[in-house]
Parts: sequence; C-alpha cells; structure tokens
Amino acid sequence: MQSKKVSRRLACEEVSKIPGIVSPFKRVFLKGEKGRDKKAQEKATERRALHTFSLSQPDHRIDPDILLNDYIEKEVKYLGQLTSVPGYLNPSSRTEVLQLIDNARKSHQLAGQLTSEQDAVVSLSAYNIKLVWRDGEDIILRVPIHDIAAVSYIRDDSLHLVVLKTAQESGGSPCPSSCPDLNKSQTLSSLSESGAVLVEVCCLLVLAVDNKAAAEELCLLLSQVFQIVYTESTIDFLDRAIFDGATTPTRHLSLCSDDSASKVDVKEAFEADTSTFPFQDSMEAEGNSPPASTPTSPQTKTASEGELSTTAAELLQDYMTTLRTKLSSQEIQQFATLLREYRNGASIHEFCINLRQLYGDSRKFLLLGLRAFIPEKDSQHFENFLETIGVKDGRGIITDSFGRYRRTASSASDSTTNGNGAAGGSGDSAASDEGQEASEGDEWDRMITDISNDIEALGCSMDQEGVTP
Amino acid sequence: MLMEVMKNEADRTSVASMALYSVMYPVFNQAEKENPGLTQDIVVKILEKKRLEINYNECLLRMAADDVEEFMIDRPELEFQELNERSRALKHILSTIPDDISDKVGFLQTIKDIASAIKELLDTVNTVFRKYQHQNRRALEQQKKEFVKYSKSFSDTLKTYFKDGKVINVFVSANRLTHQTNMILLAFKTVA
Repeated sequence: MQSKKVSRRLACEEVSKIPGIVSPFKRVFLKGEKGRDKKAQEKATERRALHTFSLSQPDHRIDPDILLNDYIEKEVKYLGQLTSVPGYLNPSSRTEVLQLIDNARKSHQLAGQLTSEQDAVVSLSAYNIKLVWRDGEDIILRVPIHDIAAVSYIRDDSLHLVVLKTAQESGGSPCPSSCPDLNKSQTLSSLSESGAVLVEVCCLLVLAVDNKAAAEELCLLLSQVFQIVYTESTIDFLDRAIFDGATTPTRHLSLCSDDSASKVDVKEAFEADTSTFPFQDSMEAEGNSPPASTPTSPQTKTASEGELSTTAAELLQDYMTTLRTKLSSQEIQQFATLLREYRNGASIHEFCINLRQLYGDSRKFLLLGLRAFIPEKDSQHFENFLETIGVKDGRGIITDSFGRYRRTASSASDSTTNGNGAAGGSGDSAASDEGQEASEGDEWDRMITDISNDIEALGCSMDQEGVTP
Repeated sequence: MLMEVMKNEADRTSVASMALYSVMYPVFNQAEKENPGLTQDIVVKILEKKRLEINYNECLLRMAADDVEEFMIDRPELEFQELNERSRALKHILSTIPDDISDKVGFLQTIKDIASAIKELLDTVNTVFRKYQHQNRRALEQQKKEFVKYSKSFSDTLKTYFKDGKVINVFVSANRLTHQTNMILLAFKTVA
C-alpha cells in the first residue's frame, strides 16, 4: 500500500517538473497529504498538556513526594504487550529481548511501523504505571510497581525501546511448554515425562520513545520509584519483624500446672503509644478483677490471671495500635465484623480469605498479629495460610539475604480460646482442673468480645473525627 | 584508611598498650560503674584535644561486633547459647552499617538482615521465657520491652534518614540498639 503511494507521488513529481503544468494527481494527492498533516497538527494542538515536572539534571531526580502523592506523565509510543514470555528471559540481554520483539513484530503481535496511532501517555507514581492512549485517554493497562521485575533500554538503530518485564496476570503462571519461544530453547532432555515443562512466565511491555534522553529519563524515573517503594517495603519488613517478635506470646495462655506461684503485680502499666484507646481502661479492669469462681489458691489464680491479662492485653494493645495506623475507620469496622463472625462459628478458612481481601497485598503482614486471636485448633491452618500468601516466610516483595524470617511450628502452638469456649493447649501439661481452664477461657473470651466491640467503636469514633471540623 | 593506620599503629605499640590496658582497665571499670558515662566523656575529650577527626559513634558501632565477656551467658543449655549467638549476630550486622550505608541498594539488604536478626533474637527470648521459670520474670519482660522500644526507635530513625540523609542519627540509634542487646544478655545472665 505504501509503495503504491510512493510511486504515485513520484509520478506526480515527474509531471510537475514540466513548467506550467500541475499534475491533477499531485494536486489531489498533495491536498490529501496537506489535509492529513493539518489534521495531525490540529490533533497535536488539541491534545492536553502532560502532567509533568522539571527534573534536576543530570540524574533526572524528582521530589519523592511527587511520586508518592502525585504523578508524572511522559509521552511514549505503545507497541504492545507480549504475554507468556519465559520468566528466565534475561532483561539485560539485548539479543534475547530483540529476538522476542522481532518475532512478535513479524507475527503482528507488536506494531510494525510507528505512527501516531501508537501515541500513548505513561503515568508514573509510586503505586503503578498507567498507560493510556494519547487521544481519547482510554486506558490500555495498569501495572502495579511490585509487578515490575526489570526495565530495559534498547537502542535499535533509530528505535529507542523501553521494555518492562512484568508479572503475568493471575491465571497465567506456570504454563506448559506450548509457548513457541520455550520450544526453541528447551532441549529434549529437559522435558518431563508428561512431555511438558512448567515454567514461570512473564510479560514484556514494549514502549518506544523519541530519543536516548527520553529513554534514560524514563528509566531513571522508574529507578527512583523502585527506590521509594522498596525502601518503604524494607522498613515495613523491619516493622513487621519487630512487631511479630514483640507480640509473640511468651507463655502458653492456658494455665500451666508448673507455673510459678510468685505474685505478679496485676496493675502493671502499659507502654501505650496512644492513650486514647477506649478499651485500654476496660482491659486493665479485666486484668485486675479476679473471676467469680475459681477453686485454686488465690495466689496462683492472681498470678496466672494477672500474667494472662498482662500478656494478652499487651498483645492486643499492640495490635490495636497498629490497626489504627494502617486501616481506615471503615476497614476497622469490617475487621471487627469479620472477627465477630469467626468467633460466632465462621470457618478459619473464610476468616483468613476475608481478612486477606480486606488488608490487600500491601498490608498482609497485619495477619501476623492475629496469632493471639487464633485458637489452637485453627492455628495450623492459619500458619499454613500465612505461608501460602508469603507472609510467614517473608516472601512477597522481599526476603532477607539468608531466606530467614521463618516461624517454627513449636512457636505457633501457643494456645488461645475461641468463642466456642474450647480451651487451648499445646504439648505442655494442661491444667488438670477443668474449672480453672473454663474460667481462664471465659476470661479470654470476654476480653476478645470486649476487644471486638471496642474495635468497632474505634472505627465509629474515627468516622466522627473525620466528620467533625 | 584512618582506621587501618590506627590499627597498624596499635599493633606496633601493642606491648606497651597491653601493659597500659592491664593497669587502666580495672580503674576505668570501677570508675564507670560508679559514674556511668565517664569513660565516654574522657575518650571524647581526648579526641577533641588531639583534634582527631574520628566519628566516635561510628567507631563505637564498628566495635559492636566484638564479644564482651561480661555480657556472655555461660549457661550450657541450648536456648541460652542460642541467645548468645543471636545477640552476637545482631550486633555483627549492626556493626556493618557504617560500611553499607553509602550503598543505597546494599543498605536495604542490611536493613532486611537486621530485621531478621531482631526477629530471631526476640524469638529466642520468647522461647527462653516459655521454657524456663524465672524468679524475676518481670525484670526480664521489662528488658524485652526496652529492646522492642529501641528497635522501633531504630526503625523510625531509618525512616527519617531516608528523608534527611543524616547518617550520624542512624549510628547513634544503632549503638543504642546494641546496648539494649547487651542489656538483654545481662538480664538473663544475672536473673536466670
């Protein structure tokens, strides 16, 4: 098609060399060309200005607040997205990446010629990359930052390509070796008995920019985003580790027969980050008042209940403090609802799934603090769930360099009681007196109920704080 | 570089230094017990007098990895030995902060390692609590609380550092954390 146009144009130009004669074809052709140019110019002037900022040179530094609380836009050309790319693709290898892109362009998976039809805008923030068409602003795709594995700049003659290696969307992970590229690289010896090899797959988002400077600018901006995001994630990881170690019970919360009978000061003051929690006073009151019927000696009873209340209250206090900083008021109320449903008989599985949905990916570490709420009978399921979502082993975005941050099975066996009144207990000797267990369980039960109510109240009070001028 | 020079200098004069150390250590030890902070004041004044451009907090942090016998728990049980080991591991990682802090990516890895070390130390402390009966349990729990408090403070200091870039605050906070680590060891040593 394009070669015919060129032939016609050349023909017109030949004719027009004869003085005085203006080729009708040329007149029509050029008029069309001019019209198209004019439209393109009009389009360019109609397009909105990009939301952009001046960047400090030479490293294109941007104020982190802009990436955290605002966004920056850059003009690109969107060539397309390749899916089911083998995850072992080396994004630093120009040859590998270009081979994939060339094959994709041949098979029309990616745009061949670059025209204004590929004009797009990339919007960058600390949360995601969003790609929209330049005209019409229809969204093409959105990639969360934590789904971006690598960013490459490849100069291919006059083409300046910026290629993002990203996670495949859910439903596309490990795929069989039906991927054409995989077939090329796999040898017979690597095929499993079934004839297929499961490999992790990823996507390649292929963009083009005008020049090297624009490509470097985009890469450096993304680098700064990674720095912000992974710094925040690293600090979160540190906070999680401290929180988890601090809130792990130091004793079994059921009465142990070999507990020391030494007195414990049940009026121990809490170290609270905030003194505005409505439940704090009720917690202290619970800790101080002995239960109605307990046949054991007053000294042991006081010691065990005081220690239980102190330990449990501290755990819950810490957890409440964290919830207040990490969840909105509505989310706190939702949390309270889910907790109540669980205590009223909902399955642990449902509880875990709903909480995971509530917290989302960025706050899934909050599940760690729930150990104190989980009775013994459900603790194994809970621990397994933590592992599958990558919280227990520190998977997700980051782990430490030794793959540590594991909870042992024994440390997860601390007992609690649930709303059904089942007393918890691990391998250690349980109390022989059922009355003691029941009162201990009731005490714990009452505290959890109070906490659930207070969590809801906290959510409501935060709502009111938001409304009151 | 300066540390290297000083080390070489110290090695050359080690004989004289050892004699001086043997004489002065008991004196300083006793004086420090009665007047906490005295040794630091003297050292800082000497550095000022000699106009030595040494970052005292950085030096202290680098020395944090050194074993100090008075803080080692000498009980043979596995959990107490683990307590020694995990405390040593945490102090060792903290002591690498001065070397790693200038490398942004590397420093993030160091922070992750510190996080794991803190978690492991607290896990071991919790295990010891669960497994062993202690007469003065309250004091031990209080020490654990202090350690958690200073760990949180260290985390807050890091957040501020990533905004203002002032490394000295990170060194000071890390030193406090190593001190709290030693205090946990001391608490278990004396009470357990």
